[in-house]
Amino acid sequence: MSTALPLAWLLPLAAGTAAWLALVPARGPGWRAAALGHGMLFGLLLAAGATALFARADTQHALAHAAPWLALFAIVMGVVAWRRSQQPLLPHATEHSQKVNKWIIVLLSLALASLAWRGWIALREILLRPTFPWDAWDAWAVKSKTWFLLGHYAPFVSMRDWLAQPAADLFTGPAWSYPATLGWMQVWFASAAGGWIEPLVNLPWFALWLGLLLGHYGQWRALGLSRVRAAVFVYLLGSLPLIAVHVALAGYADLWIATAFGFAVLAWMRWLERRECGQLAIAVACALLLPMLKLEGAVWLLLFACVAVLSLLSRRARRYTVLFIVAITAITIALGKFTLPLPGLGWVHIGATAIDIPMIARLAIGWHGAAFKGVLYSLFAQPNWHLLWWLAPLLVVWRRGELRVHESLRLLGLLLLLGWGFLLFLFLFTDAARWAESFTAINRLVMHIVPATITLLALLCRNVKTP
Amino acid sequence: MKRRLSCAIIVAMIWILLLGVAAGLRWNTPLLAHQRVTLDASDFHVVMGAGVEDGSALRVGAVGYDGNALQSIPLEHLHAQDFSVLRYRFEGFPRTLELSLVFRRSDSPDDVQVATVPWPGAGWRSVDLRKVPGWSGEITELGFAEYATPQVAPPSVAFQPFRFDKAELWSPSLRGGLAALDTSWFGETPWALMSVSALGPTREVAQAPPLTPLLAIGAMLSLLACALILRWSRPLLLRHAAFAVLALWALLDLRWLDDFHAKHELTENLYAGKSWSERARLLPDQDIAFAAEQVKTYLAGQPPARRILVASDSNYTFLRLVYLLLPLDVAPLQQVAAAQPLPQNALFLLYASTQWRYDAERRVVIGGTQAYSAEPVFDSGDVHIYRWRSARP
Repeated sequence: MSTALPLAWLLPLAAGTAAWLALVPARGPGWRAAALGHGMLFGLLLAAGATALFARADTQHALAHAAPWLALFAIVMGVVAWRRSQQPLLPHATEHSQKVNKWIIVLLSLALASLAWRGWIALREILLRPTFPWDAWDAWAVKSKTWFLLGHYAPFVSMRDWLAQPAADLFTGPAWSYPATLGWMQVWFASAAGGWIEPLVNLPWFALWLGLLLGHYGQWRALGLSRVRAAVFVYLLGSLPLIAVHVALAGYADLWIATAFGFAVLAWMRWLERRECGQLAIAVACALLLPMLKLEGAVWLLLFACVAVLSLLSRRARRYTVLFIVAITAITIALGKFTLPLPGLGWVHIGATAIDIPMIARLAIGWHGAAFKGVLYSLFAQPNWHLLWWLAPLLVVWRRGELRVHESLRLLGLLLLLGWGFLLFLFLFTDAARWAESFTAINRLVMHIVPATITLLALLCRNVKTP
Repeated sequence: MKRRLSCAIIVAMIWILLLGVAAGLRWNTPLLAHQRVTLDASDFHVVMGAGVEDGSALRVGAVGYDGNALQSIPLEHLHAQDFSVLRYRFEGFPRTLELSLVFRRSDSPDDVQVATVPWPGAGWRSVDLRKVPGWSGEITELGFAEYATPQVAPPSVAFQPFRFDKAELWSPSLRGGLAALDTSWFGETPWALMSVSALGPTREVAQAPPLTPLLAIGAMLSLLACALILRWSRPLLLRHAAFAVLALWALLDLRWLDDFHAKHELTENLYAGKSWSERARLLPDQDIAFAAEQVKTYLAGQPPARRILVASDSNYTFLRLVYLLLPLDVAPLQQVAAAQPLPQNALFLLYASTQWRYDAERRVVIGGTQAYSAEPVFDSGDVHIYRWRSARP
């Protein structure tokens, strides 16, 4: 127990960071923060993967079964990273150190201190309380708690299958179809803790928050933001209240989606701007992770894949492709024949009057005017996002010139626009409107694209001349 | 200089106007309340729980059997429309308790109106009564109820003695309106199950218009006024706008940090310094946790039952019970379709359930149109377990 917990933390961090360094050997601005931040996310998910693969039969000793494999992975990746770091690399743009006003340093120090203060509060909150928010115990921890306390893996199936196979070692529940990735990660930490100790299985949410901030800082630096600007945007991201809530009241999957999507976007930006192959691999890996974290991740993966594929085409080909896809989609939807395979969600059927999502629900299509108030209230009035949604459109309008110049920013803008199109369609034109009216899901889905939105704002501001 | 002065006046007017609108004030609202009713806590009767007079205050030392405390005072000829602000002051009010305003009206003397009001921290708190549902007509009784904060505080440890000092009713005034605004914007609210989805909605009534849009609109109007009056160039306007955005962001963030810290204080209050096994028992829904323990204890002495079908009227209760029963193989009874066969040796667990019940005469568990032959095997309080009697031998 005494060495198990530190090992359970250090091993994933080492494996994740080594994997990042193996893919990204360049030592440009912010590389340490980027490596640690991404290493945190990758490491935790690698631990989940190793547990799922090697500890199914004996979950109570998951650490003992999965740790050697994770250690082996870390060593191999470490060797690859070391060898690649020895090879001559393309020179990075050298950074001219700029003199920073003392007042800016003082203000930034205060802002970062406030981040540390809320981090401390969130950490204490996690370490003190039993799992609190509804879906954390109703959905996300059900599988992990069952598998850990049972001592082995048991499949979760639909109620119909559960009743149909009374002799089998099957379980069911409202969240039986949810991805099990985070559940396996919780099994890893429960095994290290030596029991189902909720604060310790929820602690990765704090590490994820650190990873989110470090990863974004490092990648923004690599994308050309100065230290000061990158730090300002880290403060803006880290100070968002609903993100702090998802850390303190740990247990939901939304922050994981937000981080993975944010990292996918950052790596994709580096690929678009610098053509770094390692970054393309990271973008693809992060995007593929999305449906493994939460079912809705499949939608973000689809949108990301669409825009990424478009980015590979010439401008002319792009226009024709978009026209063709829009026409085909409109016709097939009108005929009621539009069916889309989405990982985790099954064959999603979109008709003129309803959307059938096998793993979630059938959503009737129709205008829900009352939900519009809920959407506006969530974004602009409640204290969930400070001034983010007031600021974002103003900044985009102000820096529209950057959008004209940089294709990468245009593509990111298009991705976010499609994301907003999906969210607004979901909450204003389907039965999901009730989740906007009751404020139960809207902000959590919006959170998925918040880090990517702040990346767009940060990149729009990277060339602003300081007066 | 003249331009700067007029700019300052206009900016000040913008903010006064916005604050006035937010507080629901009219242009002719007086600065101070013309009418005030002061209610010393010692004049309140203890209806539930126990309390003793302490000068003009009331020391509340215990809650009633149901975990609630209530103090009330009869009133005569008090017309609701004359009083728009309620002020109250408590000392040492525990973070684990929630406070409600309770009142009766002469037109419906048997109905008790209850409205959750902001947690009384140090000093006075004010509530805009115009936004309290049912605050109309003649008020015949007014009181305060205290109970464990729902969803957060375990009832068994929520109560700690506190002192109720005083309450006041004020007629409309600038001071009262701004005080109510201050309580609504800067008062402390506990965590709720909803917090993870949105920070806006709270149980407290009389919420003022939200702070974020007011600050955003105020800042935009102020910048516009300054730019027009002081003839700012575009770069200067952008510079000031950037500064204003960062300043407002920091202001909102400070407000959030204060709230975040206050929310966490309740957690510290409940769980700090306790071992995990103690904390695991300190759940807000201790009754459900107790029921789950009873079921587990009973099943531990029984031959292994493979499947348990659970029913409870409340969705929350049912789901919570399922989580606390893990790793038992549990499923919702409601989801079993009428014609579906049940697993051999299945158990029915009915907890605080009226939709599903046991008919002792027919020896069946009934819910809607469904009925299953069953025999009772465990019965304790709200927990009832029945074993399904399969038609097969």
